[in-house]
Amino acid sequence: MALLSTRPGEAHHPATPAPHVVPLRALAPPHLPDTSARELWAGVYLTAPAPAEALQRLARSAGRYTPRVSLEPPDGLLLEVKGSLHLFAGITGLKLAVTDECRQLGIRTVVAFAPTPRAALALARAGRPHAVLDPSALTGALAPLPLATLGWPRDVLERLARSGVRTIGAALRLPRAGFARRFGAAQLAALDALTGRTADLREVVRAPLRFRRRRELTCELENTSAILVALAPLLAELGTFLRARQCGVLELECRLVHRHSPPTRCLMRLAAPVADAQRLGELLGERLAALTLPEPVRDCELRTDALVPYRPDCPHLWRPGEHGGGFSSEASGLIERLRARLGDEAIHGLAFLEGHRPEKAWGKTAPPALGCSRKPPCHEPARSPRRPLWLLPEPQSLAVEDGLPWRRGPLLLLGEPERIETGWWDGGEIARDYYTAADPHGVLLWVFRERDAPHGWYLHGVFG
Amino acid sequence: MEGAPKLARLLEHPAIWRGRGAARLEALASGFAALDEWLPGRGWPRSGLIEILAARFGSGELYLLLPALAALTRAAAARWCVWVAPPLMPFAPALAAAGLALDRVAVVGGARPLWAFEQVLGSGACDAALAWARQPKPRELRRLQLAAERGRTLGVLFRPRSAAREASPAVLRLGLTPLAAGVRVTLLKGRGAVRGTIELAWPAGAPGRTRG
Repeated sequence: MALLSTRPGEAHHPATPAPHVVPLRALAPPHLPDTSARELWAGVYLTAPAPAEALQRLARSAGRYTPRVSLEPPDGLLLEVKGSLHLFAGITGLKLAVTDECRQLGIRTVVAFAPTPRAALALARAGRPHAVLDPSALTGALAPLPLATLGWPRDVLERLARSGVRTIGAALRLPRAGFARRFGAAQLAALDALTGRTADLREVVRAPLRFRRRRELTCELENTSAILVALAPLLAELGTFLRARQCGVLELECRLVHRHSPPTRCLMRLAAPVADAQRLGELLGERLAALTLPEPVRDCELRTDALVPYRPDCPHLWRPGEHGGGFSSEASGLIERLRARLGDEAIHGLAFLEGHRPEKAWGKTAPPALGCSRKPPCHEPARSPRRPLWLLPEPQSLAVEDGLPWRRGPLLLLGEPERIETGWWDGGEIARDYYTAADPHGVLLWVFRERDAPHGWYLHGVFG
Repeated sequence: MEGAPKLARLLEHPAIWRGRGAARLEALASGFAALDEWLPGRGWPRSGLIEILAARFGSGELYLLLPALAALTRAAAARWCVWVAPPLMPFAPALAAAGLALDRVAVVGGARPLWAFEQVLGSGACDAALAWARQPKPRELRRLQLAAERGRTLGVLFRPRSAAREASPAVLRLGLTPLAAGVRVTLLKGRGAVRGTIELAWPAGAPGRTRG
């Protein structure tokens, strides 16, 4: 307790010796006032409301002060610091640390301390960076604060203001039953939590779980299959870790550390969450087999990205696809095998884009999912101008003889030309006359002639 | 002779070959009535490896397959239609215009096409897979055929015409020669079929062989 008393007069809240097992706070009868101040909350008020991600990030970095960090969007952060206060040089030290950290992120804050979370935040919102350590002094400290510091709905505040109730003290003096009837039970519960009459159970911010284990090898290894054997205990540990948390991973990184060279990274992206260590081991083996190591490996490390919830699927009674089932597990298995051996770009889907220029009329997408619920495509194929089945990545220049294009012989132009023009808005401007042409072997080609000088002929597609 | 119908039913098993007409394979309508009538299984086989030997790339080999692929990808419980190591990029607008559902089309990149083709065929996630390979060994072809049967996938391997001299375990082998407004299909191998030739004309407008 001595460490707690940073200022004289703040230390008069001796912890009551507990002769019996202290019941859970939430179960304590509400008529017994809680005088021991088992909690001390730091309310951090951000003077400008922060977006949810920034608040989450702030909450995660505040995790080094206490494991109990709670959010009060959009402008409040609450830390329960009773147990950890002495580690940060008391109230003044902690306040300084929090304020400094927020200032580095460009956020201005007010920090106040009180035995209940709502009271701490109300003090901070009122711009009073005080520390109220004694529960008996709490009501007095809160009484002059305006009701707006509680973050209640606007219409409730207006109704209270019309009745002449503008401060927390005035609200606390109102009869409880009437207050609940006129202004809502939620507001009465909020007042009770504010003064510590009832427990304020808050959800704690938890950082996403990750797995990271390192293993030093007893001797330097060069053979990838030997490295895979050395990784087996780590993989088994990962499997247990994932099973215990009912989670899977979408990304697994294996780092192989060498004596001189920078570590070799082997990153594996999975198509669907995987929790099975054996399957991860097989995929990792494929990846490792494709690696070329600059040097023997001294130690290895497994890291995962944030874990994702994983629902293990039970074996189906029907074969995949029978009776309306899907093929998603087969599809993700195939994607992973191909990616493990051939790289992440191994498989992709195709998309039809709205563009009149051939180069901009298609795009690559992620491999399509094979879920069981899919509307059969009902639209009729669009009536579009004739297009070749194959497109060359770049138009290929053709030789010209007697004014006609030449490829393995003179090309015979068929039908009317189709003019495709413009694209000035993105710099890909074209002006071309497209023809269907047959070469001497009967293969149909899609060729075009530049409209601008020098009027070159190019091959752009093959009809198949 | 009351056992005769039972015996006949037993002999309808796909693994039993009894000369022309008795090898029952689950068939897939090709979209060309004349071709369906002529092919040994009354259509493309539903699973297994078929080979199409074209004199050169672009002889109309894809137009022969597109109606069947379109029907496969547009079915309610459709699986993927995968293009393994195509020599050029398939052009999405043309595929969509031919009726293929693009949300069931995937393309697999170029390195190690035969390994990728075997994985695709055996995965069970594909209705059809197309591949282009230079010179597969007979052993590899056998593996592809087994994988296609395991994954219940129609595997189509495009090979040069010179491969017709080599033996192959494929269910069906066709040779292709382009004509002015169609294609000449030669049957090189088929279960319970005799060699023959058929000339197909493209439907008006579709691949557009009308000479102007």
